[in-house]
Amino acid sequence: MTAAPTTTATNTAAPALMAQPTIAAARPRPPKSGWGDIGKGLAFLSPWLVGFTVFTIVPIALSGYFSLCDYSLLDPPMPIGLDNYRALMKDQWFWNSMKVTAEYAILALPAGMLVSLGLALLLNRPIRGRAIYRTAIFLPTLVPVAATAMIWLWLFNTKLGLINYVLGKIGIPPVPWLTSPSVALPAMVFMSLWGVGYTVVIYLAGLQDVPAELYEAAELDGATGWRRLWHVTLPMISPVIFFNLIIAIIGVFRVFEIPLLMTNGGPARATQFIAMYVYDNAFLYVRMGYASAMAWIQLILVLILTGIAFWTSSRWVHYQGK
Amino acid sequence: MLLLGGTLLAFGPRPHGKIPPGRVVVSYWEKWSGQEADPMRAVIEDFNATVGKEKNIFVEYVPMATVQYKTLAATAAGVPPDVAGLWPDQVVQYSLRNAAMPLDELAREYHIKPEDYKKVFWDMCRYQGRLYALPTTPAVIVLNYNKKFFYETADKLRAAGLDPTRAPQSIAEFDKYAQALDVYAPGTNRLIRAGYFTMEPTWYDTVQNIWFGGHSWDERTQKYNLLTPANIATFEWIASYSRRMGKQNLVDFQSGLGAFSSPTNPFLAGTVVMEQQGQWMGRLIDIYKPDMAQVIVPFGVEPFLPRVLRPFNYDWGIAAFPSNVPGVKDASYDVTDVLMIPRGARHPREAFEFMAFTQRQDQMEKLCGMSGKNSPLMATSDEYVYSNSNPYIDIYDRLAASPNARANDQTPIYNEALSLIEVAVQQVYLMQQTPIEALTEAQREIDKRLASQDELAAARAAWSSR
Repeated sequence: MTAAPTTTATNTAAPALMAQPTIAAARPRPPKSGWGDIGKGLAFLSPWLVGFTVFTIVPIALSGYFSLCDYSLLDPPMPIGLDNYRALMKDQWFWNSMKVTAEYAILALPAGMLVSLGLALLLNRPIRGRAIYRTAIFLPTLVPVAATAMIWLWLFNTKLGLINYVLGKIGIPPVPWLTSPSVALPAMVFMSLWGVGYTVVIYLAGLQDVPAELYEAAELDGATGWRRLWHVTLPMISPVIFFNLIIAIIGVFRVFEIPLLMTNGGPARATQFIAMYVYDNAFLYVRMGYASAMAWIQLILVLILTGIAFWTSSRWVHYQGK
Repeated sequence: MLLLGGTLLAFGPRPHGKIPPGRVVVSYWEKWSGQEADPMRAVIEDFNATVGKEKNIFVEYVPMATVQYKTLAATAAGVPPDVAGLWPDQVVQYSLRNAAMPLDELAREYHIKPEDYKKVFWDMCRYQGRLYALPTTPAVIVLNYNKKFFYETADKLRAAGLDPTRAPQSIAEFDKYAQALDVYAPGTNRLIRAGYFTMEPTWYDTVQNIWFGGHSWDERTQKYNLLTPANIATFEWIASYSRRMGKQNLVDFQSGLGAFSSPTNPFLAGTVVMEQQGQWMGRLIDIYKPDMAQVIVPFGVEPFLPRVLRPFNYDWGIAAFPSNVPGVKDASYDVTDVLMIPRGARHPREAFEFMAFTQRQDQMEKLCGMSGKNSPLMATSDEYVYSNSNPYIDIYDRLAASPNARANDQTPIYNEALSLIEVAVQQVYLMQQTPIEALTEAQREIDKRLASQDELAAARAAWSSR
């Protein structure tokens, strides 16, 4: 066994050995100052920080400024105070798009949450071919939006579409899915369920984290399947439900591509969502200041709704260990 | 960061390999891609090999979707293309904001004169007395009708006092043809074929007043005036089709229409007998329904058929859309693609050199001929008409040159007004509002918007002069 070098030892015959660090030197030293590490951390973060500042923070701040200006992109922004916000309050098509978005949210948000949770509960059971079902449910989320819109245009076609064909087989007359103002929005809600795969995966991850002993204890107490779901599963996955709710609230305010490609907001603006009206004002009518004001109202609404969700969360979201 | 920078330097974008050294590169953004871009690419190749070579200019073609929005953003950022391929509504939008280069002096220098052009296209390139664009490929919207169905319904048409061998020549006659050509499922009131359908296609629903001699924009007062007798008559006409077909039939029938660029296109599939369309219908038929173009000889042999006989080889015909105004003949709705030089372009003179090249008769005929379109120029060669793939090119050409060829209004709030008029049309079509109600509501909204635009323009003028 080689003797460990000491701090006092001198050995001219073995300079390499002398160069070895001493035990005392090898001992980690406390940092002289925390700022050095913070600096290194910031340096590593800098690509993201620069990107986030340049492409997110600055545009958000600028849009706040533009919302107080008359700005067409092609002219310099001219400050006009709160005129854009005042004009918005009197713009019937702004209120129409808010109404469309709200109606969609009221229908699509719970429908999406319930369907995805239901599917996750089913796929969490030990059924044959579970992996295939999981893959099949997730696959649609990988289809590009434009392709999805094209597929659904065909599915919704009254004469050639699969949906009306199936409905016809069970004696239901053809439904004019996208051309009737009263049906077009529900059709969009129905279509939104096509993309639940992503949410299902998150629910599945949450469901697999529920400790098995809780179900065993509930069973010993004589809890039925429904009671186990209500008293064990749902409280245990409530943080996941909460996360999905927040994402869904943000999502409904961003609905844009699908109605743009499928109905362009029609018929008679029955599917003109707020994001579409912002886009039209910004680029089609070159009213960037007005569109920015709308975008800020949209942002404030999202903040209020997510704030309410957070505020109520202490009553229904249960975190393990708390 | 260093690693990223190094990687970008090593593998990042390089200048285009085929650009000959020492040339000024003119960047040209255009909406056409794929096969649609081939005609313009051919013109650019000619330019780069001749005038470009001589004057050290190289035009680089950059195809892109939503070119109007990207040009807008790039112009705002101060890095626009040298040439942008846009539409006439951008002529007003850009020139109002001093974002397009006036071309009058350069046009004079290059001997580009208004009398060389069909007036409707030249006027689209100008705004408030100045020239901001030059035309490329035009669109002329006319009546397309399925001759086969006319012949098949000949007895019914004759019984209604109509001639099955020609297109209708007045709106009243058109309505009779349309009704006679409608087909309902036996024993039901379910429409399965429409003689004419208001929303097929939906693209021109806002300009139907052209056929009634109506105008939405009053050039003299610089105001919108929707509640004119001609505009009301237009909306009544739209409502008459909805009333006749019934609301349920409207939405059911529209919902069953196929996609435009496909064999299920309603005109090609025989679901709609008469519709308003442009020159592209010929190309669409060649691709998706070639049997509509081989009545006498097979499709492949058709180019050998004498020009005068070629229309007889087709199951489909075109004519001016009938006008409701007595004495008005050869009415059409016209648009054109345009070339503009945005503010801040780095090489405006070289850009115009290229634009002027595209306006030469031989180049314009190459561009429009390969696209199956007529030329915006007054002069057309016999060879061009003979070799054009569209058998009706001479009719399009005649209609575009007619004094009754109509373009979009040039207004400061064109796109917004159009959106509001479109809602009015849809509300009348869906029988949600009467024509007067819909027009009154649209008028009120447009007035509000125009007043706000005027106020802002005045405030901006005062603000700028401070």
